[in-house]
Amino acid sequence: MNIHFLYRKGSLYLLLALFLSSCEEPYSPEVLEASNNFLVVSGFINSNGPTTIKLSRTQNLSDNSAPAFVTDAEVKVEADNGAAFLLQETSDGTYTSGTLPINVNQQYRLTININGKRYASDYVAVKQTPAIDEVSWQLVDDKVLFQVTTHDAQNDTRYYRWEFEETWEYNAYFFSVIEFVDGELVTRPEENNIYLCWRNNNSSNINISNTIKLSQDVVSKFPLYSIPLNSEKFARKYSVLVKQYAQTKESYQYWESLKKNTESIGTLFDPLPTQLTGNIRNTTDPSEPVIGYIHVSSVSEKRIFLKQTELPYVYRAPSVSCTLDTVAVEEVPEYFSGGSNLPVGPIYTESGTLIGYSGAWRSCVDCRIFGTTTRPSYWQ
Amino acid sequence: MPHFYRYLFLLASLLTGINLLGHAQTAQERLITLSLQDAPFETFVKEVEAQSNFHFYYNPAAVDSFSVTIQVNQQPLQLVLNQVFKDSDYRYAFTPQGYVFITKGKDFHAQLPNNFFQRNTNTSDSPALAEGIVDKPYIAGEQSKKPTTSEAKLHVFGVKREGVTGNANLAGHLRDAKTGEPIIGATVYIQSPLLATNSDQYGYYSITLPVGEHELLIRGIGVKNSKRRIALYTSGKLDIEVEEDVRSLKEVLVEAEKDRNVAGMQMGLERLDIRAIKQVPTAFGETDVLRVVLTLPGVKSVGEGSTGMNVRGGSTDQNLILFNDATIYNPSHLFGFFSAFNPDIVKSVELHKSNIPARYGGRLSSVLEVTTKDGNKKKFAGSGGLGLLTSRLTLEGPIMKDKTSFLVAGRTTYSNWLLKQLPQETFRKSSASFYDLNAQINHELNSKNTLYVSGYFSKDNFRLGADSLYNFTNRNASVKWKHIFHNQLYGVLTGAYSHYGYGVQSDKNPVSASDMSFDMNQANLQADFNYFLNSKHTVDFGAISILYNVSPGSLTPIGSESLVIPDVLQREKAVESALYVSDQIDVSARLSVYIGLRYSFFNSIGPREVYTYAPNAPKTLSTLIDTVAYSSGQNIAFYHGPEYRFSARYGLTDNSSVKMSYNRMRQYIHMLSNTASMSPTDTWKLSDGNIRPQVGDQVALGYYRNFRSNTIELSVEGYYKKMQDFLDYRNGADIILNHHIETEVANAEGKAYGVEVMVKKLTGKVNGWVSYTYSRTLARLNNPAVSEVINNGEWYPSNYDKPHDFTLISNYRFSQRFSTSLNFTYSTGRPITLPIAKYQDGNAQRIFYSSRNQYRVPDYYRVDFAMNIEGNHKIKKLAHSSWTLAVYNLTGRRNPYSVYFRSEDGKINGYQLSIFGQPIPTITYNFKF
Repeated sequence: MNIHFLYRKGSLYLLLALFLSSCEEPYSPEVLEASNNFLVVSGFINSNGPTTIKLSRTQNLSDNSAPAFVTDAEVKVEADNGAAFLLQETSDGTYTSGTLPINVNQQYRLTININGKRYASDYVAVKQTPAIDEVSWQLVDDKVLFQVTTHDAQNDTRYYRWEFEETWEYNAYFFSVIEFVDGELVTRPEENNIYLCWRNNNSSNINISNTIKLSQDVVSKFPLYSIPLNSEKFARKYSVLVKQYAQTKESYQYWESLKKNTESIGTLFDPLPTQLTGNIRNTTDPSEPVIGYIHVSSVSEKRIFLKQTELPYVYRAPSVSCTLDTVAVEEVPEYFSGGSNLPVGPIYTESGTLIGYSGAWRSCVDCRIFGTTTRPSYWQ
Repeated sequence: MPHFYRYLFLLASLLTGINLLGHAQTAQERLITLSLQDAPFETFVKEVEAQSNFHFYYNPAAVDSFSVTIQVNQQPLQLVLNQVFKDSDYRYAFTPQGYVFITKGKDFHAQLPNNFFQRNTNTSDSPALAEGIVDKPYIAGEQSKKPTTSEAKLHVFGVKREGVTGNANLAGHLRDAKTGEPIIGATVYIQSPLLATNSDQYGYYSITLPVGEHELLIRGIGVKNSKRRIALYTSGKLDIEVEEDVRSLKEVLVEAEKDRNVAGMQMGLERLDIRAIKQVPTAFGETDVLRVVLTLPGVKSVGEGSTGMNVRGGSTDQNLILFNDATIYNPSHLFGFFSAFNPDIVKSVELHKSNIPARYGGRLSSVLEVTTKDGNKKKFAGSGGLGLLTSRLTLEGPIMKDKTSFLVAGRTTYSNWLLKQLPQETFRKSSASFYDLNAQINHELNSKNTLYVSGYFSKDNFRLGADSLYNFTNRNASVKWKHIFHNQLYGVLTGAYSHYGYGVQSDKNPVSASDMSFDMNQANLQADFNYFLNSKHTVDFGAISILYNVSPGSLTPIGSESLVIPDVLQREKAVESALYVSDQIDVSARLSVYIGLRYSFFNSIGPREVYTYAPNAPKTLSTLIDTVAYSSGQNIAFYHGPEYRFSARYGLTDNSSVKMSYNRMRQYIHMLSNTASMSPTDTWKLSDGNIRPQVGDQVALGYYRNFRSNTIELSVEGYYKKMQDFLDYRNGADIILNHHIETEVANAEGKAYGVEVMVKKLTGKVNGWVSYTYSRTLARLNNPAVSEVINNGEWYPSNYDKPHDFTLISNYRFSQRFSTSLNFTYSTGRPITLPIAKYQDGNAQRIFYSSRNQYRVPDYYRVDFAMNIEGNHKIKKLAHSSWTLAVYNLTGRRNPYSVYFRSEDGKINGYQLSIFGQPIPTITYNFKF
């Protein structure tokens, strides 16, 4: 809550605000140093595309190092009729396969062998994910709200989960026409353009919904996420790819508990956090905590684009304060050689004499600080 | 104060020597027809005044124990009066203007010519009256030594005979002289031998005394210490009117019976008078009954913003909250920041936490009885208050003077209007409002029959952001008929109805617009009898039957676009009945014993379809084996069992005693709540074939000692409690609109133990109490055949396990018009489940939680301060007013209500939530007229 706001408005508002929204502060507890390295299994068995499973270990909350991946494990997808497909370790802790010949009438499980320790998930049925009908957006209170609509004519799916991948096109603050090469400033060729970039972001929150209380299996404009209208994401063009996964009731409950545990707690009437149990177990020691829930489903995707011109104009402050420096010709090597400043363009007098160059911080000139100049294949 | 003036007039007339006698015989213009049976003297006066031009002048206190039985037809007043005052020592006189003066004969004498009344009685042709005087010659001597105050007056019951021994009973009502309100919980006693009784909730007392002359002493909360002189030869009735102790308005905290702590039978009983409650500062300036109850030892809550209370390790649904004998299911307003009880009409609050009388049952942990005022029987009056968030108004008065009174009260909040003024969008879209209404009528049919009718209605609405609109409603009504069979036996027949319901409307998205609702109805019929057998035995017995009708939930679509499927959970019905009898035995002056037995029955009845599950396996959908349909009224499940109530007191010395008690309670109705605090969307579930009743046993042992002539009380109480089959939840349980709730809950066992130490100082400039409690509350789920095992089947601390608790409530009275209060509270932080590990899952960092409740939030402490400024204490003025200035959480400590970890933008962030994180100043204006 905004404390300053309260103080400004005096005690009457203070009172009201207090009983409505109370007061939330950051909290760092004494370090909880119970040593732990439980196995974490993330991913799912994809019935219409490549399957990717990641294996890692839990860490202490205070541990700031990168998570430890589990390498050299034997990871298999097994059908209840005995068929088995081995996944290959493509990078540390990441095990993938091509599209597996999944039969919707069979049940599948994941088995993991880590140096002789064997883990297996429960057998799970294959869920077919219906297509996404629409990904839409609307303006709500200076925010752009993205919504997803879908339905299953068979009324069979009922439980849904979504992930999304955002991509947006943006500019650096200054357009640079020259570059600093071997101590000299030369005209920047078209292929070295650092003005136009694309940036990605993947969803991190859990987005789930169900239709069990509805007479038809219809999800209408489920709110996925929203972005402030003045976000840099909308400066030129924005795109989102929404991925939809049909869930079983059990896997839905797992995600729901995980969401309750980690995202939606902290108000007065929220449920208590609980110890989560997934569907993966150590086959010899079932009491060992294993984190993760394996489900088998297909994926439906839908991408939409949103141009800046479709939205009302708003002022966007640059993420860093950008000003142009003027650099005299003799100062050029000193100014640009460190790499933290980049040249923008030459400066001439009215009579056409070169008197110096304009330069700025790298982050104001080089869009690659945050993204890539490689145009995504799907970009329109 | 008309009586007061009548009395003044009488004195003035006497002093100026009006010749009353000369005209006494002439004032007989009108003839009187009357038929009265045991009527108060005032009734007689009213009747006569109505039929004639006579006006009576008398001191009401002098006739308060005098009742009139007369049957006359067309008789002159003189004959009527002769008949009325036959066998009594009252005297009368008339004036030509039609004034009739009633006095006690001897005092009249003192001011008038010596033989004045002698002649009067001689000429009255009333041999009976003459005899009366001859019969009691000693009264004259006694009376003439003291001034005529009611305290000095000797009330005579029966006729004195030499050498007669034995006991006789005296019973009657204690009432406030100004308002006619019954005085509850006052002690009526004689000092030698020490024999005492307490007035009950109707102000009724009954005491058996040895025949002879006694000084009857009356001590009570907020009333002047009074006494009555009695000469008891046969059983009799004495209604006593005592004056309010104006001086003690802000002084007393718990000035109950001063030696009750040591001498009383009860253990674990806390009785708070509204005056005590009013002194404790609250967050929003309004007196809050439940907040004060929470300061008592053994009573805890999960956090500041929750109304639910945990008594001695019990859960929030284990408290029976009675408001004028009707059960209240949600005792809160506005998310629990206000209690449901309008402080202006509350008279007293009683909390039973260990030795629960056999009369009560149905909840495991405690009984909280909130009693309201009866309404002023003497004159029209009002009171009210203006606060920052709420206003309230109460009106009361007689419908028929001294017989029928009414009381209506209302309270509302203007928070809604204020919210609209807020600049922040989310606040403007929010709304929160509540109101409650009380209405009561008390009617005294005659001296033996009284009727009490009371009704209560409360409604809350709130909307957070623009999302769902919540509302909940309490509706209660009760009718009580009290009948006094004779001095030692009275009975109360009570019929009560309670309704609680809530609704959640969600209309943001037309496709999923819906209305979810829950409601429950309860009808009680109850007969209770009190039998004051003799000075050694007080017997209570009775029967109660409750019909429950619960609609556990329904979901209905709103609007034509909505695709929501109507979903209605089956109604649940049940009958809970109980029979009880108890006897309080005063074995000797030192030893007294309370033995009670309550036997309760519970029938879950149809129509309903009930799922059956495979035996010896956890109830899940996969173990569901059958569905059995029951027709209307058919018995689904039947539970019954005894509930033992036993306690004993042994007086070690005059100032100290030990007490012990053993109690068993059974509970057939359970609250379903998946949140840490009590929330408006909690539902209630009746026991049935799949959900067993809860059973709790408690033993308690206490030591009590009073110091400095009963002005300082020390009590030390230890208890051990076991609970079986209370409801706990499986991890991630879904309890809303669940057709098979038994698959989400588990019967847990619990144990609680602790020691409560309390020191109270009752009187003086500095008063208040200090208490320290050490207590543990543990739960266990360790039966794999019933449910999943939590924390490997070990005992784990329940959500409200707060081992150390220290409370100081103190008042300092600078003058009669200015007093301050300072409160201090400390407790161990409540248990929470903390994350023990983090991991990367997809793009987000997530957390893995520990076993249940293995960690605690930081300790809690809070200081509150309040100032009370009274207007002057003139008895007679237009309105009495007072100002209360208070600061809640003076030090501004941010006490964490909860601590939690959230994954935000892929990172784990820890937060603590405090509800009242700044000092909160409030000001309240109260008035009374």
